[in-house]
Amino acid sequence: MRWPASLVAGGSVFALIAVAAALGPALAPYPYDGMDIMARFLPPSAAHWFGTDEFGRDVLSRMLYGARLSLLMGVGATAVCLVIGVPLGLAAGYYRGGIDETIMRAIDLLISVPPILMGILILSMTPPNPWKTAIAVGIIYVPIMVRLTRSVTLEIASEEFVLAARARGERPWYILGAEILPNAWPPIIVESALRVTFAIMLGAALSFLGLGVHPPASDWGLMIAEARPFIVEAPWVAIAPGIVLCLTVIAVNLIGDGLREVLDPRLKRGRG
Amino acid sequence: MSVPVLRVSNLSVAYPAGAGWLRAIEDVSFEVAEGRALGVVGESGSGKSTSALAVLGLLAPEARIESGAAQFKGESLFELPEAARRDLRGNRISIVFQDPFTSLNPALPVGRQIAEPLVWHKGMDAAAAAIEVERLLAEVGIPRPREVALAYPHQLSGGMKQRALIATALACSPELLILDEPTTALDVTIEAQILDLLESLRRSRGVSMLYITHNLGVVARICDDVCVLYAGRVVEQGATAAVLKAPRHPYTKGLLASLPRVTERKHRLAPIPGRFPDLSAPPPGCIFHPRCSFVLDRCRSEPQVLADGVRCWRAAELAGERWRVEEGAIPARVGKDEGALVEVKDLAKTFQLGGLFDGFQVDFSRGFPLKFAPPSVRAVDGVSFSVSPGEVLGLVGESGCGKSTLGRMLVGLIEPSAGKIRIAGGSPQSQRRAAQIIFQNPDSSLNPRKTVQSIVGRPLQLHDLASGSKVRERVVELLELVRLSAAYLGRYPHQLSGGEKQRVGIARALATSPRFIVCDEAVSALDVSVQAYVLNVLADLRDRLNVAYLFISHDLSVIAHIADRIAVMYRGAIVEDGRTEDVLQPPWHPYTEALLSAIPAVDRTPESKRIRLRGDAVERGEAVKGCRFQHRCPRKIGAICETDTPPVREAAAGHRIACHIEV
Amino acid sequence: MLIYALKRLGYVAVILAVMSVLIFWATQVMPGDVAQMIVGQFATDEQIRAVRAKLRLDDPIHVQYLRWAGALLQGDLGLSLMMDRPIGPLIREAILRSAVLAGISLVLVAGVGIWLGVFTAVRKDSKADHAVSVGMYFFISVPEFFWAIVMILLFAGYLGWLPATGYAPLSEGFWTWLKHIILPVATLVTGLVAHVARLTRSSMIETLQSQYVTAARAKGLPERIVIRRHALRNALVPTITVLAIDVGLLMGGIVVVETVFSYPGLGRMLIFAIEQKDIPMVQAGILTITAVYALANLAADLAYAFFNPRIRYGNAVAR
Repeated sequence: MRWPASLVAGGSVFALIAVAAALGPALAPYPYDGMDIMARFLPPSAAHWFGTDEFGRDVLSRMLYGARLSLLMGVGATAVCLVIGVPLGLAAGYYRGGIDETIMRAIDLLISVPPILMGILILSMTPPNPWKTAIAVGIIYVPIMVRLTRSVTLEIASEEFVLAARARGERPWYILGAEILPNAWPPIIVESALRVTFAIMLGAALSFLGLGVHPPASDWGLMIAEARPFIVEAPWVAIAPGIVLCLTVIAVNLIGDGLREVLDPRLKRGRG
Repeated sequence: MSVPVLRVSNLSVAYPAGAGWLRAIEDVSFEVAEGRALGVVGESGSGKSTSALAVLGLLAPEARIESGAAQFKGESLFELPEAARRDLRGNRISIVFQDPFTSLNPALPVGRQIAEPLVWHKGMDAAAAAIEVERLLAEVGIPRPREVALAYPHQLSGGMKQRALIATALACSPELLILDEPTTALDVTIEAQILDLLESLRRSRGVSMLYITHNLGVVARICDDVCVLYAGRVVEQGATAAVLKAPRHPYTKGLLASLPRVTERKHRLAPIPGRFPDLSAPPPGCIFHPRCSFVLDRCRSEPQVLADGVRCWRAAELAGERWRVEEGAIPARVGKDEGALVEVKDLAKTFQLGGLFDGFQVDFSRGFPLKFAPPSVRAVDGVSFSVSPGEVLGLVGESGCGKSTLGRMLVGLIEPSAGKIRIAGGSPQSQRRAAQIIFQNPDSSLNPRKTVQSIVGRPLQLHDLASGSKVRERVVELLELVRLSAAYLGRYPHQLSGGEKQRVGIARALATSPRFIVCDEAVSALDVSVQAYVLNVLADLRDRLNVAYLFISHDLSVIAHIADRIAVMYRGAIVEDGRTEDVLQPPWHPYTEALLSAIPAVDRTPESKRIRLRGDAVERGEAVKGCRFQHRCPRKIGAICETDTPPVREAAAGHRIACHIEV
Repeated sequence: MLIYALKRLGYVAVILAVMSVLIFWATQVMPGDVAQMIVGQFATDEQIRAVRAKLRLDDPIHVQYLRWAGALLQGDLGLSLMMDRPIGPLIREAILRSAVLAGISLVLVAGVGIWLGVFTAVRKDSKADHAVSVGMYFFISVPEFFWAIVMILLFAGYLGWLPATGYAPLSEGFWTWLKHIILPVATLVTGLVAHVARLTRSSMIETLQSQYVTAARAKGLPERIVIRRHALRNALVPTITVLAIDVGLLMGGIVVVETVFSYPGLGRMLIFAIEQKDIPMVQAGILTITAVYALANLAADLAYAFFNPRIRYGNAVAR
């Protein structure tokens, strides 16, 4: 099977970053909180590939550690979003009626506040913590996942083979699991890839505002925030993590596009 | 001899497909003479729409005209600059498309859309155009034209929309009117009205027509000449009467033989076996040879050319020979008094529309302004009937009459609001093995991710009828019943043709050895030749397995062919039922009479009596006072039809009609 | 149509009521000991007791809520802890400044986004289309806070063309005001333009392939009329929905942008309030933003209904 270029390109870049993140402590030349006041604001050099920050900490090492946190927040949030959102969407789309109405009204509530503000609401009153942030971001995106899953489920549930399954007395578990879900997961997968990009960015934004990670640990968002006062004097401290953040997001976007190319024609072909 | 209005010569059009090109039409030539109507006939995929779009210059941008020419009154069309072609469109050559529901811009009032060609081509100002629009709407038979002109498309019924589209096409008095399956999306009674309209317009305006359709009956009614397409090639052409009475190409013979006719019931239909060729890799020699029952070796190697109006070297030799007919009439089920297998009494179903919030209505006329009265639709309104073992009961009605809802209630898919259903003495939920259902749309009735074996085998596993290797054995047996070989076991739905998919659906329904099957428009989405095949399969199964059917369809000719008894449904209730031969003969319920006369039959004589219904929308929902058919009945006798529910009269043993008119 | 509007308005009221409970719970109940949190780790017991008394935190929770909600309904947004002034006027000033920022940005996002979407849809698969698509791709992948930093670095730091802070009151002159506001607006716009452009493009492409557009061409109408009168009118309807979503994203972006550019709007005030644990301000701020967002969504719903003849005129079927 021919893999689309976008999938290959995006996949390899993302894999690279993910591996770097996983191996973080092993790869980092310096500890992430290793302060060295004599070495403050050093521009990029052989010793420090991305220079040092205000406390003399090596930017590359902090980025490697930060990668773990940023990726964790992105992927973790999406996992939360899927685990909560997909079953709710399936239930709403399949059972309709009262269950559907209840779930959709609850969703309407969740989206009545813009995403960042919801994050602020949930996280502002308690000490920052990456797990909490990941869960909060996941919950923020649940409505979108529910809506998508619901609309896909509605479409599939109206297909005649689902009616045929009901007519022969199949249990709802079987119908949802064996008839509906196998046909539903392609658009869900594609949407999840997109969600990862948004989750990474939202997580970074919340960290930037001080609601994500607790210093001295830092993810890319907090690194950029901390570098802000010295942006003109030492731009590399903010630019380096920022560029890697964008690269990661672009990579995941490419993966999403590639997945859509791979999965969509199969869907269409499946429809005869 | 005058110049033909349209002459298409050796036209070939190709579309990109995968790595190469797919030739949709090849070497197609036909002519529309002045003042005459040419019918272009073919099944789906025959390329008939492509030729019309090519003439107008409306092909999709990726399509390529490989060769050929088209001349409009002697003027070559393909060489004209785009501006000149635009001048012709909507002005001297107009087209009416198939689906009235999507051909009108939902955001603009109808009158405005009809006025556009007038304003643009004839330079009329808005006021003059509006007057002309009203006149046009009246000409196409629309009552209250001013109101309709101001209405939006969604406020009009399908028939009204199509009339408006015809008005648009005629606005600038074109010399050629192209119609691309204009009645396919409409109910048969509406179709009859539109065909009447087209006939009268042809007479009054003298416009030449190019009529594209798959329905030979329509061609018989309206077209002077006919051109038959198969797989993008012309296989036969000539005067309609001649071609239909004495077809010369095997495909035309097969097409005519596979049509179910009300007048020739109970003989085996003669389908065309095999499936449509893959146009990206067409078979060598004659394109029809894989399916032809007169095939000889020469046909397999030598491509055929069009000679004397037919593309077959054996045409003269085969003149007068009919398509191979399977012998044996379909035996009728003699009514043995075994008691009913299926009994339905006073069945009703009312649907509520909208969600929780839509239920609140604001009404200042009585009491508290805020009321909770959700809008509802009475899909089925008091239906009673029974089906004996091994009997086929045909349920006929047009869209919205509730027949699908009824069928689905019988297998437990929808909960009735009132009434009783008994299948072999039990409820549908308890008799899931005994009662099964087959659906209409082959593209939707099979799970695209499962193999044929898995699809047909699942009911066996669910009901513990077989396990392990036994499943495979039983599935092969079932496939054999529907004439599919074991090679199909590992295939996926997207690898099957429409007819094959429907047969897999039938096999799946047979897995539990049911005694009763609801066929919900099971053949309606299939091409005529494939339809015949599947009907034969169903008839055979009925004989071999003694299964009873509730055969639901909007097509009376199909039902007349296979049913022992017929029930006619209108707006949620049965207005007539009885043995097939009784229902097809007078006395009739007025609706049945209209249905029968609306069928465009290939062999219908032109003077056959035409009964037309008034109006064309089936109002849904509100409770009926008096006869539910009163608004459209051509035989309405008076006030009694509005006030009293019509009594059920017995015209013959078991033949009931619900009408105020005396039998 | 009027009934539809009233129903939606009622619905908005219900949502706001429920959200107020949620906001109250998240800020005053969930964190546990609110007084401790406000005063900080090194507080004395006396300070804690003082705060508890001031905010009447010893009353049962539902009483606290009702007191707060009751005051809200009368227009009293409470008292700011850190500034010890009524919140109402503070928010009013701040919201006006944020509204200016949001308004300009929204207009640009809609205008540029729709234009780009239609432009690329009509020229589908051309070089221009591909170039714009690639550009949009990148724009989507950069988070707002990073855009802001890059903009500051580039325009304020290296090029020195524009100031690094976002606000100068109009009283100081139009050009000064403009110079200050350009960067924040640019930051907000870049993120969302791509979103609108993409959606408009796909909606337009779909519309251009629809049957009624072909039918319009079959009438011999020139392409520009086909696009303007038939395609656009229908293609832009989903854009209304997207713009409504974008208002929400814009509000989130405003919080970030105001923080980075020190723009004295509602967003920055909210962040300060959080840092200072000024709970009444946080409550009032979030509720205000929620209300504005709900009204924006309502406006979008009504606009959508207005442009959709099915809802506007109902289904009276002509016979």
